[in-house]
Amino acid sequence: MSIDSHYAHPEALVTTAWVAEHLKDANLRIIESNEDVLLYETGHLPGAVHIDWQRDLQDQIIRDYIQPEAFASLCVRDGITPETTCIFYGDKSNWWSCYALWVFRLFGHEKVKIMDGGREKWIAEGRPLTREIPKYGPVSYPIPTVRRDSEIRAFYDQALAQSRSGAPLIDVRSPGEFKGLVTHMPEYPQEGILRGGHIPGAHSVPWKQAVNADSTFKSAAELRKIYQEDLGLQPNQEIIAYCRIGERSSHTWFVLNYLLGFSTVRNYDGSWTEWGNRVSAPIEKSI
Amino acid sequence: MSYPPRLSAIINLFSGLNDAEKRETLIAYDDLASAQEPRGWEQFHLEDTRKDEECTDTAALFLRIDDEGKSHFRVTLGSQVQTLTRAMSTILCMGLDGIPPADILAIPSDFIPKIVGAELVMIRSQTVYYLFTRIKGIVNIWLQRERAATLQDEQPVNH
Repeated sequence: MSIDSHYAHPEALVTTAWVAEHLKDANLRIIESNEDVLLYETGHLPGAVHIDWQRDLQDQIIRDYIQPEAFASLCVRDGITPETTCIFYGDKSNWWSCYALWVFRLFGHEKVKIMDGGREKWIAEGRPLTREIPKYGPVSYPIPTVRRDSEIRAFYDQALAQSRSGAPLIDVRSPGEFKGLVTHMPEYPQEGILRGGHIPGAHSVPWKQAVNADSTFKSAAELRKIYQEDLGLQPNQEIIAYCRIGERSSHTWFVLNYLLGFSTVRNYDGSWTEWGNRVSAPIEKSI
Repeated sequence: MSYPPRLSAIINLFSGLNDAEKRETLIAYDDLASAQEPRGWEQFHLEDTRKDEECTDTAALFLRIDDEGKSHFRVTLGSQVQTLTRAMSTILCMGLDGIPPADILAIPSDFIPKIVGAELVMIRSQTVYYLFTRIKGIVNIWLQRERAATLQDEQPVNH
């Protein structure tokens, strides 16, 4: 199956078949990023490196992403240069690979793509996995001069202003979380959220609406219907997406930004773990 | 408290490992997860199958109590179940095999951090305890049913 050419940026996706043919390309780095912390070690695409969203992308002291120096070190560790095309894939329909891609974009890494269908599709097609951990030769990666927080990331104050002004806020969590019936998903880490509900004025569009049963993204026409025709979003509107800790909203950010070509979409990574606990933050509940 | 011998052996195995070695060993137990599935000929006293709504797959737990009153567990896990849960299914099926139900309820969950390590407990606090909690749950149900059946047997018969 090929990539829908009607996406705004079809070049941001590659098929599993394409990846299988390019596993040994020198200018590519295949990167697995998962929800399941041990999954990479059970088997991964030949040559793929592992980026752990928590250990590698998060500052371990401050709730924030790593600083530019650490990002450059991460790239050097994995043999990535500014010219390397990074192909991200992972479990959970590519939640965490979209999250890792979004962090790479925070640091201005341009050449990023998602393997459509992720790990599930690769395995369903009977393609090979290995437990061999690759090692790549020494490379250099200049320390990025800036982290693009102001362009693609939203903070609490911006989300509050968006809520007050009635501008689009997209809550991509499950309906139960949006309604305030649950604060986390069953069998999932409880990040200690005190209140259930959503940001006032937010629209509920669970991330899952954007994917097919085989974890591939829905067609451009289907996505336009969900986000533009049904929800009424405009491509030039300023949009903030959020979830619980910013991983599922990275998925929606990827859809709106790369597949539908919306110009100003921000991921509020503080998401419900910040909003639901924050003193004096207003919430809404719905049944 | 002292743990059952088989569980104690597993705890001792992990206790001497650093975090990286613990992860490797957990993968080895994950590899054995499918061996914990029910055999065709086995009969069970209780089955507890659950499918979570969004993020996880089906986890089915089977309990058999043998003629000596000892517990035996089998687990069937969907393909999307996390590796850590799969590894824990092997560890618990092996470690708790042959333990009387009441004794299982008395086992504290403090052995789990010794097995998986502090890092994984911190980032997956729910996951690492998930199956053990469910095992205690199914054992508890079996014990309650046994008590209810015993009470019924002891009721005086009115003529």
